[in-house]
Amino acid sequence: MSQSYDRGLIEDFGRWREFSAGMWAWVLHKFSGWVLIGYLFTHIAVLSTATVDGATYTNTLQGLEELVVVRFLEVGLLAVAVFHILNGLRLLFVDLGIGLEKQDRSFYASLILTAAIVVASVPTFLEGVF
Amino acid sequence: MADYYSSFEPKGTRWLLQRLTAAFLVVVLAFHFMLLHFVNHAADITFMGTNLRMQQAGYFLTMVLFLITATFHGVNGVYNALVNQGISGTPKTVVKYGLALGGVVLIAQGIRVALAMAGIL
Amino acid sequence: MSTQVTEQEQEAEETVEEAVSETETEAVGAARAAQVDYGYMEEKAEQEVRDAETTVKLKVFRYDPEVKGKQEPRFDTFTVPFHKGMTVLDALMYARDHYDSSLTFRHSCRQAVCGSDALFVNGRQRLGCKTQLADLKDSDGPPGTVTIEPLPHSDVVKDLVVDMQHFYDQMEAVEPYFQTDDYPKGELEEQRQSRENREKIKMSTRCIWCSACMSSCNIAAGDNEYLGPAAINKAYRFAMDEREGESQKQRRLEIIEQEHGVWRCQTQFSCTEVCPKDIPLTEHIQELKREAVKSNLKFW
Repeated sequence: MSQSYDRGLIEDFGRWREFSAGMWAWVLHKFSGWVLIGYLFTHIAVLSTATVDGATYTNTLQGLEELVVVRFLEVGLLAVAVFHILNGLRLLFVDLGIGLEKQDRSFYASLILTAAIVVASVPTFLEGVF
Repeated sequence: MADYYSSFEPKGTRWLLQRLTAAFLVVVLAFHFMLLHFVNHAADITFMGTNLRMQQAGYFLTMVLFLITATFHGVNGVYNALVNQGISGTPKTVVKYGLALGGVVLIAQGIRVALAMAGIL
Repeated sequence: MSTQVTEQEQEAEETVEEAVSETETEAVGAARAAQVDYGYMEEKAEQEVRDAETTVKLKVFRYDPEVKGKQEPRFDTFTVPFHKGMTVLDALMYARDHYDSSLTFRHSCRQAVCGSDALFVNGRQRLGCKTQLADLKDSDGPPGTVTIEPLPHSDVVKDLVVDMQHFYDQMEAVEPYFQTDDYPKGELEEQRQSRENREKIKMSTRCIWCSACMSSCNIAAGDNEYLGPAAINKAYRFAMDEREGESQKQRRLEIIEQEHGVWRCQTQFSCTEVCPKDIPLTEHIQELKREAVKSNLKFW
């Protein structure tokens, strides 16, 4: 038997144009998940200044909030969290066996809704930074 | 049911818990964002404000529960993503216990922080 | 391939090679004839391509570890004349018969029941015999170029042929055959199945083992131990069959609720999308997950 050839990942990111809705949902849910867990650890680390004393906590957090890049990162965090929640809801419905015929459309809906919520929240998030 | 326990727990339990924590987190994470970015503004955080909120027993308990469910959901999610990618053998065992440990440490530290915020520690 | 050699072909074989022994099969004989008349076939093709109203370019993945010059994978282009109703399989056979007889691909029934010719056509898993060239473009008529590759996430043996052993191993792992301890009382009584039960498992019985689904699943690609949609669907077909009895169903559930069974499915839905028999695979896997959770929750 001749040696067979391993072509590696065919449906890798090079072929992203051919991704189906379900595949995008999976990729984005994974990506947003990693970002959120990374944020969770960072968040607890930053909040740990509360165990030092009140002033350190206040100064650290307000100091961070003053940085423009932090404000933009927060908008990014919102986008990631909202998408993960909305797609997560879609997945919960799939797990319950409801609406499987519309699964691709519900993914597009969650993308659009995420965009809408993020855009609507930008004024509040960027308040007072400029 | 009892004759096939795995080294950790019966299969399917983590799958169910991931969904249950998900349902809880949808509500609480949304609430957390609303409270801390829209009702209160993140730019105006002070220890005093945090202290006031954390001194309410209901809010305090919710936050601790939030921490535990989010940690489980996140760490379990990461573990599953790695298993899906094909991790196996020794790396898998190392990752499994490493993640579990990381999760426990996060929860412990988080509770310490929560107690400090409430003025108890 | 038919072992019957028609009279006409027999005569042709004998005139081409007199030393041909009588035990030589029709296939070898035809190949030898093709080698001698090779130039003729290619000329014929060129004529047909000139005469045709529409032609299609086939871009086909080639690889052969045993042939120098084909050890590095490459794409060969063949121009075939288009006729109404032409399928991808028809086009491939035209290319093989007229341009390059070493072009290798599996095919058998050519009516979407044997599952041999699952291919990766224009970026999607499809059955060659079931895919009309004309359907590969949004507007009317066939597209200019059709790209044909072997199924992703499987090792390639040669050209468009992939190693199916892993797929078969996963199918065997779920015991894909009827088993029951729940026999009817009388000795000669039938094992009856209600209409509703048959209706419930009807779609899951349609699997032709083509492995398009497994090829489209990203989890199957990453996790080698994942059973895969086809195997889990097979388990569904038997677990949900009322003639197998409750204890057998529990046994079957135990197999698929292992770590690399149903739980690995991330509801990507690609399997459902590419299945040539329209089996709602994701739905079946989800139902099995719910069954497993329900039976595990019953700790009393």
